[in-house]
Amino acid sequence: MTTVDERARELTPPSTPALRLRGVSKRYGPVVASDNVDLDVNHGEIHGLLGENGAGKSTLMKILLGLVQRDSGTIMRGDTPVAVRDPQDAVALGIGMVHQHFSLIDALTVWENVILGDTGRIDRAAACRQVEEVSRRYGLPIDPTARVERLSAGERQRVELIKCLRRDPSVLILDEPTSVLTQAESAELFTVLRHVVRAENRAVILISHKLAEITAATDRVTVLRKGKVVFHSPTGDTTPPELARWMVGRDVSLRAEGAALGMLPVDGAAPSGDPPAQTTAESPSGAEAEAVTPAETTAEPAAGAGSGIAPALRLRDLTVVIDGVTVLSELSLDVAPGEIVGLYGVEGNGQSTLGDLLSGLVLPSSGTVELTGRPVELERPGALHRAGLGIIPEDRHSSGVVLDMSVAENLVMKSIGDVSGRGFVSRRKMHAVARRLAAEFNIVAPSLDAPVRSLSGGNQQRVVLARELSAGPSVLVAAQPTHGLDVGAIEDMYQRLRDAASEGVAVLLISTELEEVMALASRIAVICSGRITGVLPAAEATAERLGMLVGGVAA
Amino acid sequence: MSAADDISTILSSGIRLTVPLAFAACGEYLAERAGTMNISLEAMMLGAAFGSVATASATGSATTGLVAGVLIGLLIGFVHGNLAHRLEVNTFVVGLVLNALVLGLTSYLITISSFDSHQVTQVSVPWLRDIPLIGHPLFVERWPVYLLLLIVPLTWWLVERSRWGLELRAVGEQPQAADVTGIRVNLRRRQALLWCGALAGLGGAYLAVGEVGSFNQNMTAGRGYIVIAAVIFGAWRLGRTLLGCVLFGLADAMRLALPALGLTMNSQLLVVAPYLLALVAMLVFTTRNREPKSLGQPFVRGST
Amino acid sequence: MTASSPGAPSGTGRRLLGLLTPRPSGWQTPAATAVAVVAALALSSALITLTGGSPSASVQALFEGSMADWTAWTSTLLYTAPLLLVAVGACVSARSGSFNIGQEGQVLIGALAAAWVGLRLAINGPALLVIMLLAAALAAGAWAGLSSLMHRLRGVNVVVSTMLMTFVAQQVVAYAVNMPWLLQESRVGNAPVSPQSNPLPPSGLLGSFGEYPGLQINGGLILAVAAAVLAAVAITRTPWGFRLTMLGRNPLAAKHAGVRVNALGGLALAISGALAGLAGAVLLASPVGVNRLQPGMAMNIGWDGLLVALVARNRPLAAMPVALLFGVLRSGGGFLAATGVPSFLVDVVKALLVLAFVAPPVVVALARRRRSGGRPAGARREAAPAAEEAIA
Repeated sequence: MTTVDERARELTPPSTPALRLRGVSKRYGPVVASDNVDLDVNHGEIHGLLGENGAGKSTLMKILLGLVQRDSGTIMRGDTPVAVRDPQDAVALGIGMVHQHFSLIDALTVWENVILGDTGRIDRAAACRQVEEVSRRYGLPIDPTARVERLSAGERQRVELIKCLRRDPSVLILDEPTSVLTQAESAELFTVLRHVVRAENRAVILISHKLAEITAATDRVTVLRKGKVVFHSPTGDTTPPELARWMVGRDVSLRAEGAALGMLPVDGAAPSGDPPAQTTAESPSGAEAEAVTPAETTAEPAAGAGSGIAPALRLRDLTVVIDGVTVLSELSLDVAPGEIVGLYGVEGNGQSTLGDLLSGLVLPSSGTVELTGRPVELERPGALHRAGLGIIPEDRHSSGVVLDMSVAENLVMKSIGDVSGRGFVSRRKMHAVARRLAAEFNIVAPSLDAPVRSLSGGNQQRVVLARELSAGPSVLVAAQPTHGLDVGAIEDMYQRLRDAASEGVAVLLISTELEEVMALASRIAVICSGRITGVLPAAEATAERLGMLVGGVAA
Repeated sequence: MSAADDISTILSSGIRLTVPLAFAACGEYLAERAGTMNISLEAMMLGAAFGSVATASATGSATTGLVAGVLIGLLIGFVHGNLAHRLEVNTFVVGLVLNALVLGLTSYLITISSFDSHQVTQVSVPWLRDIPLIGHPLFVERWPVYLLLLIVPLTWWLVERSRWGLELRAVGEQPQAADVTGIRVNLRRRQALLWCGALAGLGGAYLAVGEVGSFNQNMTAGRGYIVIAAVIFGAWRLGRTLLGCVLFGLADAMRLALPALGLTMNSQLLVVAPYLLALVAMLVFTTRNREPKSLGQPFVRGST
Repeated sequence: MTASSPGAPSGTGRRLLGLLTPRPSGWQTPAATAVAVVAALALSSALITLTGGSPSASVQALFEGSMADWTAWTSTLLYTAPLLLVAVGACVSARSGSFNIGQEGQVLIGALAAAWVGLRLAINGPALLVIMLLAAALAAGAWAGLSSLMHRLRGVNVVVSTMLMTFVAQQVVAYAVNMPWLLQESRVGNAPVSPQSNPLPPSGLLGSFGEYPGLQINGGLILAVAAAVLAAVAITRTPWGFRLTMLGRNPLAAKHAGVRVNALGGLALAISGALAGLAGAVLLASPVGVNRLQPGMAMNIGWDGLLVALVARNRPLAAMPVALLFGVLRSGGGFLAATGVPSFLVDVVKALLVLAFVAPPVVVALARRRRSGGRPAGARREAAPAAEEAIA
């Protein structure tokens, strides 16, 4: 008891703790998602919660919100232990969350969404008045009677904030808030948060897997790894390398792995040519040598991409209209063999549609896709695959794998004809192919006949990659390839992409992670509202310029 | 008989045939807005029809029978809700099985039992009943008919204006989002099915102890499916759904009146009208309807 | 259901598949199913006892009507054939992710087409029967295909449209047998005309192997068993079946992998309709009925066949014993009345049995998930890669 008190005193100097967690644990079967977690969040500060995917951040937050019940431990508001059995309890305790996805109902209006989850009679006039009031107070303009389905991502974020702030929470939790926002919108968000903390003395918990965001915006930081609190410090007293080490559990080079941790390439590292080649030049120590060597061979074709060499992938004036909305607008882009081109943009600006189009899921209303000089008949199923395009789709669960089919079946999914003879599928041939690919791509699975559902995210992604590369594609499209993976798996994926490029494959990397495209791509195209707003060689791409392009401003 | 008398007779019978549909439609409409495509509606109506006649016979009171019908509808709604929105058995499968079960059970029971005939009392509104053409059809009816005046606006208010209804709509549209916001999705869906069961039960019971006074095997004869067609025809709007019920009721009345009118028209077109109109409505109004986005899909926390 | 984006699959169908297709499970599911079946039978007995009947006498009657001698077996198998055909079709469409519940109507459309061909084409010999069966399959396949078309063009939910089309089919047949110029029976003298067709010519009847009073195996049963075996092989062993399964489990991934999603999905639905149509032709041409087209001739075979597929969890081979069980209940049901128990009892028993087979796997899966903390399986493993063993 005394030890807990001492530790609490040590961790919470002058300000009063708004929320205290003591020894909170949660197990899912054999997996400990939350392991004896202690956490103090003070009034008047932004508390960063940092950790890799799967480190237990969201479990912890779900416990705080009453969406998940803890197995043991205490949650205290001030000095009083409290019960959080359901989201209503959380609201009553003044704990509010700004969700990133799946929390606004499109078919309802702003004011209806804002009062959803309250109790008591509905008073439309009062609700609208409150929305307007909150929106004025925090500078978040919104029309309370608008239907949410008509709003942009930034406006939806405002509604989320208003919905949360209207309930006057003393603790405000934000889960990966900036992933759908432009830099301008992110700036707006952090202005509001600072106001909320400084002027109104609320507590804010900012959950992120991005180092840069945490170091820039928070007052204190807690690092979670494998469900445990491994590090805790005022943000000012620590450094990104230290945080990265705690987060991953080993020494990491921010130069090589920074992108995987959400850090921009370190000063001056804006590569002049091919980024991997750049890494070689800049890390003579050879600390991350394995990441580098193959890239040197690619420097040549990549550099020549803009001139001379025929592009392997050529997108011409692609326009896609869905339900009357122009999602892609005359998009043109070339990718040369051996080159990694990054298509960077904030989520929801047409990248998903481009990924769907290149997966054969969506047809353009106009425009063409050419592979190795030949136009592809997009309306023919599987045409892109046959023409030599491999793709890692953005959402592997929705179109990359069939979760309930086996690892082997998923690996031969696109080449079922090759493992069949005389009209029947040969399980022997199928297993032979699968065994080879599993070995080659280090796929860890209980067995080849186990459903893909039973694999970790990283291994599921390897299944997709193995299948796509096994067809010997001339073009590889990787759409958000590292989404939801842990650092090890991310590094593995980066390496595979670099290897593919070094073998002469044209790689198109579609990503919302600025750090990722800057680390991998030799050219960066920026997409905003379905248009390419600019293409920069990696050498000329700075966060600022890209940020302006992402906001639709010509740089 | 004059043409006016004919029309009045058809109107009269049309309204009587509409009433059970309208009760059930109010229920189905609400259940579908909450995301359940409730095809056990037929079971609810049929079970309630049987239960009401059996109870009326046992107690000698048609009104008690009516109440029993509502309770049986509630019971079936409860069973469907718990199977589909607690145990997560597919809602269509639950509906198919319940329909088969209730049809079998009521057919079985009616074969081995006999019941006295009871009917709820008729109300005749002075003055208004003398209005030509529509006076008699609208103002000389069994009293439960006038419950519609209460239930229709109540259903509308519940869905469109009450907090419960706001949550139901959220649950029918995006259950994952509703869940994160703190709404108990499957509880709301079960509640919606209870409302649906009660009203479908009232409709079935009205058919039995209101109109007919007795029960015969498979007496609802697919009326539950007609109501589902009406909700689809109404593009998930209450007003249009009820309009569909009136149209389908009148079509049925026309069919029954054909021989009396001396028309040698084939009745099949009138019988098939509700289903064809529902299909046409789905083909035509696809973009303008209010079909809940998650209609018929189970909600499981954590899946998207 | 309105498609939210081009090519978006029916969410309903996708979700359904997760519940309907076989999944690996331990001993809990069979155990729970056994308990549920016992409970269903106990409930049925209770019902009989409460209404003054004798459960043992009822079982005896069911047995006598369905299995006691070769005649009874013959009658049982006559019901089994159409039930199995419908069920196999239901398996195929459900495997592709489309839930067809319109078999009752498709059976009628098949019977209508077969009757029309059989009565209008003046052919002698076995060719007539072949053409009848083909016509039944084509007509009912096209009828079910309409639902697929409506889904593809306007996003109409397949479950809903197949259901509504059932009622349309019933009226189409009613119309046909009420129109002298279509299929209504010929007037003989001044005798009243019923809403039914003329009887089929002898060359349009399905023959049987075996002689009364021995066991007679009707051609319909051979057709049905062949269909079940063929479907089982096609689904589990061929590239076509691989694509079908892929489509059912994840339509987006299937489309991505080059499967002609619309064509294959439409084909699966048409096949399920065609098999239901064959069942209609069998009902018409085998001695189970009167060999005339009648509005009531489907006798709920379509609905029951669907239930057979549900109990068999969409496995064509498993559908064979289940269809046999349903055939037993049907043919035994006729003998019940003699014991003072209405034959409707078998409908109650059937419904309870279906529930006993359908609910336990879902409940077991749910219980498993609850135990592991409410996370989907994928997410659970996401955090536990270490628990896996390398195969490479």
